[in-house]
Amino acid sequence: MSLFAAKTTDHPASAEQNDDRAPSVMYELPDKPLVTIEVGKAWLPLNLRDLWACRELLYFLMWRDIKVRYKQTLLGAAWAVIQPLTTMIIFTYFFGKLAKVPTEGVPYPIFFYTGLLLWTFFSNGVNSAANSLIGNSNLITKVYFPRLIIPSAAVGAGLLDFAIASVLLIGLLVYYDFPVTVEYLMLLPLVALTTLLALGVGIWFSALNVKYRDVRYALPFLIQIWLFVSPIIYPSSLVPDEWRWIMWLNPVTGIVEAFRASLFGRPFLWPALGYSAVFSLVMLTYASYAFRRMERHFAELI
Amino acid sequence: MRPIIKVESISKRFRIQPREAVSVRYPTLRESLVTSIRSALKHPRGNGGRDDMVWALKDASFDVMPGEVMGIIGPNGAGKSTLLKVLSQIIEPTSGRVELYGRVASLLEVGTGFHPDLSGRENVYLNGAILGMKRREIDAKFDEIVAFAEVERFIDTAVKHYSSGMYLRLAFAVTAHLDPEVLIIDEVLAVGDASFQRKCLAKMDDVTRNGKTVLLVTHSLGLVTQHCQRAILLSGGRIIRSGDANDVVNHYNEISASPQAEPKSASPDTQQSQDPPVDH
Repeated sequence: MSLFAAKTTDHPASAEQNDDRAPSVMYELPDKPLVTIEVGKAWLPLNLRDLWACRELLYFLMWRDIKVRYKQTLLGAAWAVIQPLTTMIIFTYFFGKLAKVPTEGVPYPIFFYTGLLLWTFFSNGVNSAANSLIGNSNLITKVYFPRLIIPSAAVGAGLLDFAIASVLLIGLLVYYDFPVTVEYLMLLPLVALTTLLALGVGIWFSALNVKYRDVRYALPFLIQIWLFVSPIIYPSSLVPDEWRWIMWLNPVTGIVEAFRASLFGRPFLWPALGYSAVFSLVMLTYASYAFRRMERHFAELI
Repeated sequence: MRPIIKVESISKRFRIQPREAVSVRYPTLRESLVTSIRSALKHPRGNGGRDDMVWALKDASFDVMPGEVMGIIGPNGAGKSTLLKVLSQIIEPTSGRVELYGRVASLLEVGTGFHPDLSGRENVYLNGAILGMKRREIDAKFDEIVAFAEVERFIDTAVKHYSSGMYLRLAFAVTAHLDPEVLIIDEVLAVGDASFQRKCLAKMDDVTRNGKTVLLVTHSLGLVTQHCQRAILLSGGRIIRSGDANDVVNHYNEISASPQAEPKSASPDTQQSQDPPVDH
């Protein structure tokens, strides 16, 4: 190892070495270049080590997104609860009391809130990730770092909102007297799976959005339709048996149903959940590679 | 001695927007579909030739030795910013190869990623992280950075309430405390008042005396003769002179003095040259 590399940055020794005005070169060149810049191939490796090296930047960007979101707001983090709560009240009245959607015996407020909790996290994650590159164009044209960090931070920042909104879910569970069961252990993996799915979809749209600004207009529309084809407002058992398989094609269905199953003590539909997991992983892998392929032109297109 | 930066015939080609699409800044999905269908049907629109391409950088090759301070000069649109962006891995070259044998930090502007709503303290951490500093590194240098910027009293105030001078000083202070082996600087020294500029130059002397390699793009020729051993002169995307800094600066002065000899710059409207106005 070179002398210089050993003395870098976080050693207190660097301060005294600064005073040492030796004009000589302390840095010993490595035999192989640290970085080679050339015309990239069509499909580039993901460079996970690069990403791992930037985990602190991921943290700082998430932290910035969260800080900025609630700066100069009166209600601050309460907004994380207000959004799903108001929607839940409206759904409870219209779809519950008026339309009388069957919910398999689960009280309306908690039925809708569980769905909305996951859905709000997912849809906000996808939406903010999709717009994240454009919102950070000043970074993209001025500094190099793995660009995947930007949409990932946008999804990650939503986890805090999710955690805050979950407090109300706990309140509802206590109020409606649902017992704590061992199935609760499934909740965390399910949230992780939702995050992966939001990352996959969000990363893909974010790259597409740099080239085609149509995404900005198409996405809210798509998300709205996606809400209606997911079992948020209704249980998937409401759909006739012969059409149910179409419901399961939607990866959100398996996750939301499993989320409710673990909370309300219902049997799990493992094949549906397995499909969601596979779909999420495949989507994330594909999106990351597609992102890497488009990434090289971001600075010119944005 | 081996070079720390090896640039081998780097070229960068930019596409100019076809005339009919000038009003549309971004390609829309519809446009792309229409274009691909048209080309599939072999009905070229007549602008598919090489007329709508421009070489912002053509066959640039040079080496930079460790500890060397090299100036990059040339008129607006000569390809200086493009060269820096290729070296900083922000844009991909069309052809050629660059080998970097040290960690590179590039300062293409000060305060990249500064957020107006965040406090000075928060922005130091955010900006430091964006520039590649570790959290512990920022912790260790934080007091030094704040003292250098002379904003101690306002460090917990949102930077949108800063005067522009304070803002620039804080932004420069963060970048001045980076510790890479190679520093790529684009005109950032032109910030603040006279006394702060002196401070910046002193800091830069410090940096170079520590054996750091510096690439400096500037319009201030005095800075080049004062601080650089070597320089390259870019014009129309090509390196037209390289070598001893004084010699290259003299050559640049000669060709700018005779206007007819001044080479055409490579289409400034496509590469959106962000060179600030000449600063004397």
